Amino acid sequence: MERIIQTFDDVLEKFSRWGIVFSLFFILGFAVLSILLRWFGMSPSWLEPMIRHVVFLSAFFGGSLATSKGVHIKVDLLTHLVEKSNSKVIRWMHRNLVAFFCLITTIVLMKASYDFFLVEREFGSVAFLQIHSSYLVGIIPFGMGLIALRFFNKLLLGLIQGDAREPNRI
Amino acid sequence: MLVSLIAYSSILFVALLGAPIFAVMAALALTAFYFSGIELSAVAVEIYRLASAPTILTIPLFTFAGYVLAESKAPVRLLRLSQAMIGWMPGGVAIVCLFICAFFTAFTGASGVTIIALGGLLYPMLTQEGYSEKFSLGLITTCGSLGLLFPPSLPIILYGIIAKVDIDQLFLAGLVPGIILMAILGAYSIYMARGITRPKHVFSIKELRDSLWGARYELPLPVFVLGGIYGGFVTATEASALSAFYVLIANCFFTKDLSISKDIPKVVIESLTLVGAILLILCCALGLTNYLVDEEIPMKILYTMKTLITNKWVFLLVLNVFLLIVGCLMDIFSAIIVVVPLILPIAEQFGVNPLHLAIVFLTNLEIGYITPPVGINLFISSFRFNKPVLELYKVSIPYLILLLIALIIITYIPWLTLFWFNS
Repeated sequence: MERIIQTFDDVLEKFSRWGIVFSLFFILGFAVLSILLRWFGMSPSWLEPMIRHVVFLSAFFGGSLATSKGVHIKVDLLTHLVEKSNSKVIRWMHRNLVAFFCLITTIVLMKASYDFFLVEREFGSVAFLQIHSSYLVGIIPFGMGLIALRFFNKLLLGLIQGDAREPNRI
Repeated sequence: MLVSLIAYSSILFVALLGAPIFAVMAALALTAFYFSGIELSAVAVEIYRLASAPTILTIPLFTFAGYVLAESKAPVRLLRLSQAMIGWMPGGVAIVCLFICAFFTAFTGASGVTIIALGGLLYPMLTQEGYSEKFSLGLITTCGSLGLLFPPSLPIILYGIIAKVDIDQLFLAGLVPGIILMAILGAYSIYMARGITRPKHVFSIKELRDSLWGARYELPLPVFVLGGIYGGFVTATEASALSAFYVLIANCFFTKDLSISKDIPKVVIESLTLVGAILLILCCALGLTNYLVDEEIPMKILYTMKTLITNKWVFLLVLNVFLLIVGCLMDIFSAIIVVVPLILPIAEQFGVNPLHLAIVFLTNLEIGYITPPVGINLFISSFRFNKPVLELYKVSIPYLILLLIALIIITYIPWLTLFWFNS
């Protein structure tokens, strides 16, 4: 079971890494292209919104990687105290409670953004390059889903492994 | 009422336990919308607003450029150049530290990279020069966030996006206050160097020429950013794209410090992980701040404050105390996203210029980086130099006092920030 979850998480990790590298080169390439085109008096109206949406998408890939590395920005007031605690139970509860909270929040956000996607599919319009606005809005449920899966894996691994190792830094 | 109180208290409790700020923001926004009877999809609508922020592009590109620079041999080359230029002066080596750290922090956004990447170079250099261990540790820890007020600092860009203040103007507004911070620390370094009897560096034209040639690819960068923006050739967004592109090409193909296939993907992942974490907070905070503004929370705070505070100068004093506490408790990115929308309308009512407010705000948070007990630079230095955090607390106190003096100057002489715009 543990191996299956770990393998699945590794696949998500690779997907996020490739996604973020591709996004950066895409953003950089098209941003430079847009400057060059502007110097030659051409600036297609679709270029800027397209780049902005890729930046938006990259935020979720970055969020997925920050989840796996445990480098999300947080308030560390009690974390140091709890992590120094001698009680394994307190440390175990702390990590899994935080992971559970994040999982629930991201799932609710994913559902809320999916509802927004459905509304946009019905009432939205073509944004640029014949891309319907609902696909652009769809970045949010996709991204939140990806992060929710990372938290889900973290929670499961944390519950299975207990305090044996420290995979569960959130 | 009781249910909502329990819900908010639970979220705040989990936040104190170390839950990611983005999840806390999202949970608060979802809870607030739920109890107000508003569809939860409204939170997603607010999140999507980020995709239409025109300056969003500057965040990943400037951060990427900074990380590439930090990963390459640029710090060594710039260090050599600074030493050749000012190393001969009394306190010269310490001043070199100030310059180098300010340059790198401006590009990496005080994310700890400066201390991690440069600490190993600067610390032995300072101690070999005869500076005490306490002074050297304190200086590097403080310098880890020095340069936050210089373009193209990430916190300035983020502030501009949140407060809807022109980023080009913010870059300009931060220049003199940033120089004041450096000048005060520079004067202290010269004062501390007075007892050092070791032979100083000898100024050499040849060394200066060689080091200038060595740093030929790094030197045009500030020109790209500042000259490009204020010369009217490019916007801040375009400057970020050109800087990132230039740094990538220069370090992979000219200096060959980094391999585009081996090193760059690692740098991309590292830098954009930080960017992702910041943008996620920004996304989720948009929903929460929108709710707070709709509920007129800032106006309610203002009403309460106006019964206690009647003039701008007392307001600025209270604001500084409040922001110093915020800076101790929160990191700079979350603080900008959460606190700015709340204090902006209040400061406006007290007649504080938005640009002046921005610089006062960022200076406070810069000080927060070295303020015990939870200033992040103290922990990074403790980790980097393998020293107890308590020792870092002690060595940072003189610097904390100096930065507070600078803060008072910046707060009570708005002209230093605003003279560019008065003329």
